[in-house]
Amino acid sequence: MSNYIKAVIAFLALVYSIHAGAQTKYTVSGTIRDKKNGETLIGATIRVANNATLGTTTNEYGFYSLTLPTGNYKLLVDYAGYQEQEINVTPDKHTGMDVSMPAQETQLKEVTVSSKANKITSAQTGMDKLDIKEINMVPVIFGEKDVLKTIQLLPGVQSAGDGSSGFYVRGGAADQNLILLDDALVYNPSHLLGFFSTFNSDAIKDVTIYKGTAPAQYGGRLSSVLDVKMNDGNDQDYHISGGIGLISSKLDVEGPLVKDEGSFLITARRTYADLFLKLSNDTTTKKTKLYFYDLNAKLNYKLSKKDRLYLSGYFGQDDLGLGSIFGINWGNATGTLRWNHLITDKLFSNLSLIYSDYSYNINVNASGISANIRSEIRDWNVKEELELFANPNNSIRFGFSSVYHTITPGEVSGSGITAINQPDNHTWENAIYITNSWKASKKWNVDYGIRLSAFSVLGGSNLYNLDANGNILDTLHYSSGQIVKTYVIPEPRISASYILNEVSSIKGSYDHNSQYLHLISNSISSNPTDKWVASNNIIKPEQSDQVSIGYFRSLQNDHYEFSAETYYKYMQHEIDYRDDANIVNNNAIEPELLFGNGRAYGLELNMRKKYGKFTGWLSYTLSRTELKIDGINNDTWYSASQDRRHNLSVVGIYQISPKWTVSSDFVYYSGNAVTFPSGKYTLNNGFPGTASVNNNYLLYTDRNGGRMPSYNRLDISATKQLKKHKKFSSEVTFGVYNVYGHENPYIIQFRTDPNDPNRTQALQTSLFRWVPSIAYNFKF
Amino acid sequence: MKPSTYFPFSAFILLLSFSSCQKVIKVNLNNAASQYVIEANVTDQPGPYTVTITKSVNFDQDNTYPTVSGATVVITDNTANVTDTLKEATPGNYNTSVLTGVSGHKYSLYVNTASNTFTSSSTMPSAVPLDSLYTQLSPFGSRREVVPVYTDPVAKGNNYHFVEVKNDSVLSAIYIRNDNLVNGRQISEPLNGSDGGSPVLPGDVVVVYLECIDSAVYQYFYGLQQSGNANSASPANPVSNITGGCLGYFSAHTASAKSVVVQ
Repeated sequence: MSNYIKAVIAFLALVYSIHAGAQTKYTVSGTIRDKKNGETLIGATIRVANNATLGTTTNEYGFYSLTLPTGNYKLLVDYAGYQEQEINVTPDKHTGMDVSMPAQETQLKEVTVSSKANKITSAQTGMDKLDIKEINMVPVIFGEKDVLKTIQLLPGVQSAGDGSSGFYVRGGAADQNLILLDDALVYNPSHLLGFFSTFNSDAIKDVTIYKGTAPAQYGGRLSSVLDVKMNDGNDQDYHISGGIGLISSKLDVEGPLVKDEGSFLITARRTYADLFLKLSNDTTTKKTKLYFYDLNAKLNYKLSKKDRLYLSGYFGQDDLGLGSIFGINWGNATGTLRWNHLITDKLFSNLSLIYSDYSYNINVNASGISANIRSEIRDWNVKEELELFANPNNSIRFGFSSVYHTITPGEVSGSGITAINQPDNHTWENAIYITNSWKASKKWNVDYGIRLSAFSVLGGSNLYNLDANGNILDTLHYSSGQIVKTYVIPEPRISASYILNEVSSIKGSYDHNSQYLHLISNSISSNPTDKWVASNNIIKPEQSDQVSIGYFRSLQNDHYEFSAETYYKYMQHEIDYRDDANIVNNNAIEPELLFGNGRAYGLELNMRKKYGKFTGWLSYTLSRTELKIDGINNDTWYSASQDRRHNLSVVGIYQISPKWTVSSDFVYYSGNAVTFPSGKYTLNNGFPGTASVNNNYLLYTDRNGGRMPSYNRLDISATKQLKKHKKFSSEVTFGVYNVYGHENPYIIQFRTDPNDPNRTQALQTSLFRWVPSIAYNFKF
Repeated sequence: MKPSTYFPFSAFILLLSFSSCQKVIKVNLNNAASQYVIEANVTDQPGPYTVTITKSVNFDQDNTYPTVSGATVVITDNTANVTDTLKEATPGNYNTSVLTGVSGHKYSLYVNTASNTFTSSSTMPSAVPLDSLYTQLSPFGSRREVVPVYTDPVAKGNNYHFVEVKNDSVLSAIYIRNDNLVNGRQISEPLNGSDGGSPVLPGDVVVVYLECIDSAVYQYFYGLQQSGNANSASPANPVSNITGGCLGYFSAHTASAKSVVVQ
C-alpha cells in the first residue's frame, strides 16, 4: 500500500515540476460555441497557424486554454461541419477569447479540410466519436434513431443481437460498459426489453466511446466507457422540433432563459405501439399494455464570467402489462447538478452532484394473491475535477469521486402472500485520480495517469460464509454503517502515439481496470429484472489488464481514415453461473455463482470516408473471448457467451441532392457461443409404464460448446428534405430494416417434433423481418 | 406525400412484421457418451414402487431409449429397517415386493449395473392432501386451466410437485412450488406455464397428483425445468440426488390425487 502512496507522490512531484518549469507566458482561453444556437462544441481544435505543435482542443464544456509566449499569432479554430475561424491574437496579457462558429452552409461541396486529423496525433487509442448527424442518418429499426444501435456498427463493438440494446466491447460482457448520461450512470440503457435504447438522440450533443484505455477520470467498469452528453439548449432563440414515427413521437423545446446567459431544453418521447395492439382480434393481445416514455431536461445559466451552473435530468419509464392481472414497470432516473468554475484562466473546475436510480415494480393480481415486488439501485455521487492547462505540452486532470450505492434487493409485499423485506445493501465507492496529456516531442504524445479506487462494503445486509460447494455455512451480521471490508485497487494507465509522418502514426496503450458492481443475468435476452449486485466478501471486484497496439493513417488529404488495432485483455474474478443456478428468487445469490479468469484478444480494422457527398465506414473485427472458471467444463478454458469470431459492418450515407439523402448498412457476424444439448433421455414423471407425451429431456455435456447460426442483415433508408418555409423546415424518412428478410436466430429451442413423436428437432425463432418505417420530423 | 395517409397502412404492416417467425433448422451438435438414467420413486400409496433404468441417446437419434436389464436394485427403509431387493418386471423396470412408503421415513437406493454403482437417499415429507380440483377459463385468454386447491401447513419448508394426467396420458410439464411466499395459506393457483403444447379442452378428464417432495428433489425438478428453457444462458443437466454419475433422481414422496372433467 505504502508503495502506491509513494508512486502517487512521485507523480505529483513530476506534475508540479512540469508546471513550475513553465516560462513567463500568456494564456488565451475561452469557450467555443455554435454561432446559431450557442451550444458549446466539444473537441474543437485551436492551433497556431504554421506551427504543428502549438495547439489544444476544447474540453467537454467547450472550454480551451492555450498558453503562448508573447507575440503575434494567427489562431485557427476547427470543428467538423463548421467553417474554420481565423483569429489574430497578441497575448501580452491573459486574454479571454470566446469563439462562435458558423456551420458549413451545405455538406454538398467537397470541403477542403485543413486541420490535420486529430485521430492520428492524439495518444488516445480505441476511441470513437459519433457525429449526431451521422447517427441520425444510419437506418435503424422502426426508424427510431438510436445511439446504442449505431455504436454497435463500430469495430470492436458487438451487438448482443436483435432486440437487444446490450453490446459487447472487446470481449467484455454487457455489464462491463460504463454508460454515462451527463456524468450520471445509466444502469439499464434499454426500453421495451432492449428493442430501443434509453437515449433519445434529439437531446444528445456528443457520444464518445472508449474501447481501450480510457482516461483516468473514468472508472468502475472493465470494458468500455460510453460517454453521452446532452445538448445544453439554444441560448439565442426559441425552437420547437419534433417527430412523428411509426411507433413513437417526440417533441423538443429549447430556448434562452436569458439570451447569451442561459438556456433550457426539454425533450420528451412516447411510444404508442400499444394502441396498435388494441386493434388486434386476440383478447390477450388486446389487453396488453406496452409502452415507454422518456423525458430529458436541462437548464444552464451563466452566473458570472467564470461560473456556469448546469442542471440536467433524465426520467424514463417502461410499462408492460396484461389488464389488471399482471404488470411490470421499470425505468431509470438520473440528475446532475454541475458547477463549472474557472479558477484561473488555466485551471478549470467542475463540481458535480449526481443521482442515478434504476428500479422495477412487478404487480401480480390473480388466484387470490395480490403481490408487489420492488427492486432498486440508487447512487449518490459527488465528483470534483480540476483541469490544469499547464502549458501547450501538458494538460493535467485530477480529481475525486465518491459514490454511495444503495441496492434494494427485492421487497415482496401484498395480500395473500408472506412479505419479504430484506435489508438494503449499502456500499461506498471512492476514487482519486490524476492524468496528464503530454506532448513529449514533435513525434511523441503520451497520456499517462493513475486512478486509485477504493470500495467499502458496509454492514446492514446479510453476508455469508460458503463451503467449497457453495453451500451457506453461516450468515454474518454486521451493524448498519460498519465498514466490513475495503478493496483498494490502483489502476495505472498509459497510452502513447508515435507520429511516423504527416499522415500516419502508431499507438500503444496499457491499462488496469476494476469493477465493483456486477449484473446477474442468466438469460439470453436482457430482462428488466436482471440484478445488480455489489462486490462483497465473496464476490470479488473484477479486474482487467489490457494492452493494445494500433496503426492509424489518413488518406487522400484526410478524406479517408484507416486504422488497425489489436488488443489483449486478461480479466480476473469473472462471474459465471453454477449448473441449475436459480437467480430469480430472493435467496442469497452467492451460492449460485462461480468465479474465474477471462481472456480476450482481437484485431479491429476500420476504413472511414469522412467527408464529401458519400460518407461511411467499413469495419471488421476478428476476436476471441474465453473464460476459465472453477467448476465449469472441468476448469478448462471455454468460449464466453459473447465470444464471436467475425464481425463485419458497412455503413454508407449518400447525399444525392440537397433534398434527398439515402443510407444503408449491412451487418454480418458469426454465431455466439451457446450451450446446446448433445443428447437426450427420458423420464416418466414418476409414472413408469403409463403413456407419456413429450417426455424427452435434453442432455448437456459442456457449457457454451455450441454455436448459434451466423447473422446477416441489410437496412436502407431515404430522407427527403421537404419544402422549407421561412422558419419551418421538415423532413420525412422512409426505411426498411432487414431488407431481404433474412431469418436471423434469436433463440433456438430443442423439442419433440410435433408431427413425429419419435423424433426431436431444433426450432429457431427470429424476431424481425422486413420492418418498414416512416418518420416525419419538423423544426421551427 | 402526406405522412398522415401512411398511418393506417403502416400500422397494418407493423402488426404483420412484429410477429416473430419460426422454422426448424439443422444444428451441428456434439455427440455424448451414453449415460445411465435412473428414475426411482417411493410413495405413501400402496406399492409396488418402480425403479426404471434406461440410457441416453444422441439428439439426432429416434426417441427410443435403451433399457438396462440385469441390474441389482435395492431400496432400504432405514427408519423401519426393511430391505427390499427389486425384481425386474419388464426390461429396465424393477419392482419392489415388500416395501410400504411412510411419511417421515428415510429411504436408501442402491443400484449396481455391470460396471457402476449408484446410491441415493430421500426422506418422505408429511402428506398434504388436495382439498379440491376445478377448471376455469384463464384470465389471460380463452384457454381453460386446471386449479388444484390445497392448504400449506403452518410449518415452513414444504416443497410440492404436481403431475397432470390428461385422458390417461402423463403430461411432461414440470410443476413445482414451495411455500416461500405463501407459507400456511390455502393455495388455489392454476397449473399453467410450461405446458403450452398440451392445453386442456372441454370434455378432457384430468387427474392431478399433488406430491410432497424433499428439498433435494425440488432442486432436481427446478434444474430439469431449466434444462429445457431455451432462454437460459447456461442450461445444464439437473443436479441429481443420486451419486455415482448418472441422470435422474430418487424421490420418496407423498401423493394425493383428484380428478375433474374439464368444463
